[in-house]
Amino acid sequence: MLRNTTDRFGLITRALHWGIAGLIVVQLPLGLRLSDMQPGLANLWLYSAHKTLGLSIFALVALRIVWHIISPPPAPMGGGWQARMAKAVHWAIYGMMVAIPLSGWVASSATGIDILLFDRIPVPAIAPVSAQWEATAFAIHDIATKLLMALLAIHIGAAFKREIDGDGTLTRMLRGHR
Amino acid sequence: MRLSAPIAALLAALSLWPALPARAAPVAYALQAESSTVGFETDFGPDHITGTMPIKSARLLIDFDKLSNCTIDVALDVAHATASFPFAAQAMKGPKVLDAAAFPEMTFRSGTIARAGDGATVDGMLTLRGVTRPVRLAASIYRQQGSATGDLSHLTVLLTGRVNRSDYGATGWADMVGDEVRLTITARIARAD
Repeated sequence: MLRNTTDRFGLITRALHWGIAGLIVVQLPLGLRLSDMQPGLANLWLYSAHKTLGLSIFALVALRIVWHIISPPPAPMGGGWQARMAKAVHWAIYGMMVAIPLSGWVASSATGIDILLFDRIPVPAIAPVSAQWEATAFAIHDIATKLLMALLAIHIGAAFKREIDGDGTLTRMLRGHR
Repeated sequence: MRLSAPIAALLAALSLWPALPARAAPVAYALQAESSTVGFETDFGPDHITGTMPIKSARLLIDFDKLSNCTIDVALDVAHATASFPFAAQAMKGPKVLDAAAFPEMTFRSGTIARAGDGATVDGMLTLRGVTRPVRLAASIYRQQGSATGDLSHLTVLLTGRVNRSDYGATGWADMVGDEVRLTITARIARAD
């Protein structure tokens, strides 16, 4: 089943969830490595890989948002404060998944250096070449990334806890249903 | 840009400074732009960024009898500089380094020129990003390959030196790219008359 229902995650939502999760698992340590790496000719490609992954995540997140408007996902299981908290964390994660690639795109544009998708396809600049824009956007990129890491820790921890408690939250995202 | 060892040896063998014939006055030379290069090199982590910058114009007066009468006046085309990989060229010409959009030209004007061993030292003023600062270049002058002994109609001037880009406010990418820029200028010139 491709579409979501009131109590099931459809295949498209699950594919997008795990696809984006997999890319983020690669992207976060790569970004952290880039932030303190001495660049040279041998590792210059990592910057390009980071930008390509970031823009791919951005595109998939946009697709996921559009899909969830077309086919809304089921609400978090259970109720009370835990469900409200789960919903708030989901919204915050979406916010960061938009803010991080967008701020990276703005910052990269502001450096004046071309952004190439897959080292081939030029991506248009979305900000003027400016030290001010660059510094501000990279600061947002950095803070939002740290926030995302904290939110993911809560999200993953809560999913495991609820699975251990036996409500099938994690199983539902894996198989579509409990 | 570096000269290969055989070329450097050949040039050294043709060196003219110690054996210049006496002439009465400074002689004007025109740059052979197509066979002249301004090369630079800087550090990029464990590697180097190299590149070249086209010469826009050059005015050279050489007094073979009295070096202090020589003048070198060169303008470089910053906007068309190239580097060993595209990102380096973009970064170099961008606002954080050379700011080619605002300062499309870099100039060097010689001041004092003095003999130094087989060559000479050229003290002059380098203007980059609108900032003018003194710079010293080491100079050697040679007959071009194939020219006869005593034929001074075609010469090669080799200038080498170092500048710190931060002295000129070109401080961008300081965490990635070295401050010192090493210059190797090979100017091939022909007597103007």
